[in-house]
Amino acid sequence: MSSDCENQVKEPVVATAEARRAFESSAFACLEKEFGAVRSDKDSWGLTAVIAADKLRDSVLFLKNDPQFQMDMLVDIAGVDYLGFEDYAGPRFAVLYMFKSVYLPAHRLSLKVFVSEADLKVPTISDIYPIANWQEREVFDQFGVIFVGHPDLRRILNHVEFVGNPLRKDYPAHRRQWLSTNDYMLPVLEARLEAKGYKILSRSKEILPNEEEYLTGSIKK
Amino acid sequence: MRVLAPNGEEKTLMALNIGPSHGATHGCLRYMTALDGENIVASVGEIGYLHRGFEKMAERGTWQQVIPFTDRLNYCSAMMNNFAYCHAVEQMLGIDLPERAKVLRVIVNELSRIADHFICVAAAAQDLGSTTGFFYMFDSREMIMVIWEKLTGARLTNSYGRIGGLYRDTYEGFENDVLAVCKQVGKNLHDLHACFDRNRIFLDRTVGIGVMPAKRAIEWGWTGPCLRACGVASDVRKDEPYYDYETYDWNVVTGTKGDVYDRLMVRLAEAEESVKIVQQALKRLQPGPVSVDDPRIRVPSHESAYQDMEALAGRFKTVFEGIRVPAGEYYSGSEVANGELGFTLVSDGSGKPWRVKVRPPCFTQFAAFHELVEGSLLADSIACLSSINIIAGELDR
Repeated sequence: MSSDCENQVKEPVVATAEARRAFESSAFACLEKEFGAVRSDKDSWGLTAVIAADKLRDSVLFLKNDPQFQMDMLVDIAGVDYLGFEDYAGPRFAVLYMFKSVYLPAHRLSLKVFVSEADLKVPTISDIYPIANWQEREVFDQFGVIFVGHPDLRRILNHVEFVGNPLRKDYPAHRRQWLSTNDYMLPVLEARLEAKGYKILSRSKEILPNEEEYLTGSIKK
Repeated sequence: MRVLAPNGEEKTLMALNIGPSHGATHGCLRYMTALDGENIVASVGEIGYLHRGFEKMAERGTWQQVIPFTDRLNYCSAMMNNFAYCHAVEQMLGIDLPERAKVLRVIVNELSRIADHFICVAAAAQDLGSTTGFFYMFDSREMIMVIWEKLTGARLTNSYGRIGGLYRDTYEGFENDVLAVCKQVGKNLHDLHACFDRNRIFLDRTVGIGVMPAKRAIEWGWTGPCLRACGVASDVRKDEPYYDYETYDWNVVTGTKGDVYDRLMVRLAEAEESVKIVQQALKRLQPGPVSVDDPRIRVPSHESAYQDMEALAGRFKTVFEGIRVPAGEYYSGSEVANGELGFTLVSDGSGKPWRVKVRPPCFTQFAAFHELVEGSLLADSIACLSSINIIAGELDR
């Protein structure tokens, strides 16, 4: 993508079926040649290229920077658990990356990375697309897939005390968990300050409600 | 906390928590700021307070049983979520809707868009201290709600969409009600512009606040009115048309700077464009079926089920076994009021979805919230928050 994108005016271009087909065949040819991608057998409605985990970062960088494709937006990251899927033999998990091009609307594709239950590791792309930071945290939270190199891999939708990964097929939907405390966000805030070049000299003390001097009555007990 | 700033100055910052139950956080989300006086030095957001496990629930029922859950995503425009989900499944099934169903979906979509944009701008006006603006907007929004009551029997969680069509046809007098709303929207917009366009307080609070450059917005995955406010004319309805959106005469509205003012004004201008689409769609509305005639997809009517053996069997099979969607994986995005609402569907060929992943538009917008507010005043963070229209229901799912 060119650097003068801020002043680039986008004219509405309608994605035709021919343009979509042309993009899919050229994009898949490139991915196959450069990164050994395999076309998924389940993508009757749009291109899904299966790619090895160690080739993921290179192929994502290629798709983003190549002037022919310009996949400048990471739309979504979705985890899938195939435990118990009919007639399925392969790694248990998969991570799907959906990309699109804002300026070339016919350009949409998905990359798929298989993750085995023993390994559970995928390289992060959060330095390439900033939004991948939160989207990868969500897949980590719901499936337990570890994104290697992620700067801040924490739970995002579920509570800090939550045990397990709720969207795995072997997590019972009716399980109840007792969660007691609120998230303590000061360490995250301090990390953000340090990322901006601030140096923490002394930390502020967390004051529990029963330690507040001006409070009286039942809360004091 | 005592910190050493990058310029070598030693400072005392205050950590201030905002939310999850704050009047301006529109539902429940939380962000924590480090304040230097009244200026935000750093901000971190946290979500998940309204996480109800939508995606886990969706895996437990049939494909049709997901539809009521989609109402609870963006509850300000529930029917658009129904249609976005149904559209994704219909694309996997490879079916085409009857003409009347398409036109009705366009009308309901655009009225929902008006209602959703008006809620966003009304809440923003309220957060900035203007109750007058709030009530101007809620005037025509209430008229739309009354149409929903008559059309679907519910105000908020309508569940009007069905895979392969609609729940039922419209009522008598629907066209006149919609025309009256179109008129009222124009009047309310006129009043609102009179209220805000030359209002010094409103302009001071919104112009140049929370600026997001277009390139950065794309990297953060922004879609919808927030991206268009940055000057990028990206709209799924124009780029990848569905429901014959390409045959209507309307324009994509864009802003110039990508500040709070642009984000609010783009929404108001989009409401005008939606009125144009609704007026054209009303002229196309011809009598006809509102659902596909296929007992494997759409439950046959009671009348035919009592008369016809195949319809009776179809009624049992679609309800108990569900619709058989071909096995595979597909991502489908639709333009809802907030941006691109995407559904990643994984089907194993049975009547139940294997995986339903929602791509909520405000997830990407709130992920970039710290970039909007860092360096501005604490009060401006409230203006930024209401301008990106966070709906916690779809943010946390």
